[in-house]
Amino acid sequence: MSSSHTFIGAVEIGTSKVSVLVGQHTGRELAIIGRGECPASGVIKGTVVDYKAASDCTHAAVEQAERDAGERIDFVFLAQTGSHLEGFYNEASASVKAADNMIDRDDIRTVCELAMSKELPAGRVVVRHLRRPFRVDGRLVPTSPENLVGQRLEVGYWTVHGQEQRLADNMHVIRGFNLEVRELVLSSLASGHMVTTPEERQHGVLVLDIGAGTTDYVLYRDGAPHTTGVLAIGGTHLTNDLGVGLRLTHSQAEKLKLRFGRALPHTRDKAEKVWLDGNYSIGDRQFPRHTIEQVTSARFWELLEVVRRKLGNAFSPETCPGGVVLTGGTAKLPGAAECAGKIFGIPAHLGETPAWIAQDLRDPGYHTALGLLYYGINSHAERAPSGRRRAGFLGSIGRLFSST
Amino acid sequence: MKEATTNPLARSWRDIPQNVKPRAMSREGRRRVKLRALRIAAAAGVIGLAGWGAWEVTAALRSQGGLPGAAGGAAPVRELSLSTDGVLDKAWLARTLALPPDASLMDLDLEGLRARLLASGQARSAAIVRKFPSTLAVSLSERSPVARLAAPGAGPGDPALLVARDGVSYQGTGYDPAMTGSLPWLVGESAPGPGGRPAPIPGMGTVAELLSRAQLEAGPIYRSWKSIDVSRLETDGEIVALTRDGLRETFGAQEDFYRQLAKLDLLLDAAAGKPGEVIRDINLSLGGQVSVALAPVPAPVPGAAPGPASVSGNPPSAPSPAPVLQFHIN
Repeated sequence: MSSSHTFIGAVEIGTSKVSVLVGQHTGRELAIIGRGECPASGVIKGTVVDYKAASDCTHAAVEQAERDAGERIDFVFLAQTGSHLEGFYNEASASVKAADNMIDRDDIRTVCELAMSKELPAGRVVVRHLRRPFRVDGRLVPTSPENLVGQRLEVGYWTVHGQEQRLADNMHVIRGFNLEVRELVLSSLASGHMVTTPEERQHGVLVLDIGAGTTDYVLYRDGAPHTTGVLAIGGTHLTNDLGVGLRLTHSQAEKLKLRFGRALPHTRDKAEKVWLDGNYSIGDRQFPRHTIEQVTSARFWELLEVVRRKLGNAFSPETCPGGVVLTGGTAKLPGAAECAGKIFGIPAHLGETPAWIAQDLRDPGYHTALGLLYYGINSHAERAPSGRRRAGFLGSIGRLFSST
Repeated sequence: MKEATTNPLARSWRDIPQNVKPRAMSREGRRRVKLRALRIAAAAGVIGLAGWGAWEVTAALRSQGGLPGAAGGAAPVRELSLSTDGVLDKAWLARTLALPPDASLMDLDLEGLRARLLASGQARSAAIVRKFPSTLAVSLSERSPVARLAAPGAGPGDPALLVARDGVSYQGTGYDPAMTGSLPWLVGESAPGPGGRPAPIPGMGTVAELLSRAQLEAGPIYRSWKSIDVSRLETDGEIVALTRDGLRETFGAQEDFYRQLAKLDLLLDAAAGKPGEVIRDINLSLGGQVSVALAPVPAPVPGAAPGPASVSGNPPSAPSPAPVLQFHIN
């Protein structure tokens, strides 16, 4: 480990693949210096169901990323998804103590602790508290209310919690490589941070990360995450529906979905047929293109409808002028943005990374891993603002022992 | 809306223990664990070495007087402790060291003091150790004299130098005068000048071997020797012993001293039974043959007494030519 650089691994253990990026963090700058990817196994809908298989593929991806970077990862930011993740909103208010009604740090800390102190059922642990903007006497304060004058301070937290055993499984997969998980970041927050701008988040935007096994969503309002959620529905459901409907194997259905699947029906000619392989080999068959599109679009439509229902009152077209941003591998389905626009009643588009991201990392499959690095670093810095590293020989010795 | 209720914060994912058993780790993970253990061991070793090095440097500086005397809590030297395998005593030690009265233990130049002790020649080796708070401990290993050597220009009453087995000559101190008086004189070898450092006498080891063998195996013969002439030792390999009776006994340095002494004893016994003639010269350096020179018994001179041992180192004059007999003794 270099004394002035930290090498951070961003690991996303997805249903279809494991993505790893290595970031070199100098305290001010972050450079992506390596990446690794491996087809996932032992993971279903974001949950580890086969520890050995999940470990093997994850460790292979980490090794590949380390080889690509030429450096050893110091610690890991891990993306977390899965249908076991749930959220609730809790808010609290406190009277300002000072006689002159000037809000100080104690007032802020008190109201924040009150808002976060919500008991959870047994076996559930907090994954993240997402603070919504403060309110002083009902007035929205987008930043810190310190030194503002008011009688009543209010704040609310969207608390995401998950099942302890499933979270532990994910972390143990990383620990099996003798790496420490420093930050556990919701996949939706990671990808949302990457494909939206601060202005969009300020005005309100909905991000849908549609993966193979799960769909993560986050609704931003007033510059902060307002609501998050995870659905155990993803691209594999489209594949399954195709397989059942057309009596195909999973790999055949996946092939058809990638080639001819659409989020909205487009083909008018019901007689148009497409070949399964197109190479005239034995077993090659023809299927109606219209049927393929109908199956995939129906499931995709249903998926977005479920998201809309889950969002409930939190979402309204008026409070989300930033529109819908789609990301994730399944979002590459043709017509996905158009479909989302129809369902949510607002403009929708595919998420794009900022222009300064390298071209080979702009694929939606890397949005979560990229966001992990950038969001994780901010989150890590906020959590430990005084965590300035000691430099020099003694600092190295101290880190060596502390890391054990 | 909640108003001023305090519940403990719920458990966070950070409370989940991340450690896994080694068997749940991948091969690379286990390798990393071992590597980390090695790094920790190496770091501990480096720290240990650094500490040990610092301690050694501090100890070295202290032993060389590089640190202030106050560092060890040293006081002025109150006591001299002497341990020796010889005859030197504390008085000699105090005279030789000549320490200033208020010398601090840490201020002493131990190397210089040791050189002073060795300069006398009687001390073969010396070790000086500070024993805090105020004791200077000296341990000596002394030389033992095997012969005497007249100092150049010395008169009859002047003290003689003593010669040790390793050839070093020195002014003996603390020896019993009877013991030093019984040592034979060494002639044919020049003594060092008064200001010069005693140089080892070459071949002294062989001479010392003859003397110790004679002292141990043939006491009467050893006691009869007045001087040992080593002038022909290097050239002819011969050691000549002159007795108080004027008998000249020549030993071969290459021959077994025990056999030569046995032959000499046999001859002297045989000659003792023959009146009228005395043996003046016996040469035992001829291998199996022994050359014996005889002389008639001199008539007694009234008032003449046996001459005292010459302290000038000059051997007695050679006897006059006499008949020579050749004995063959096996």
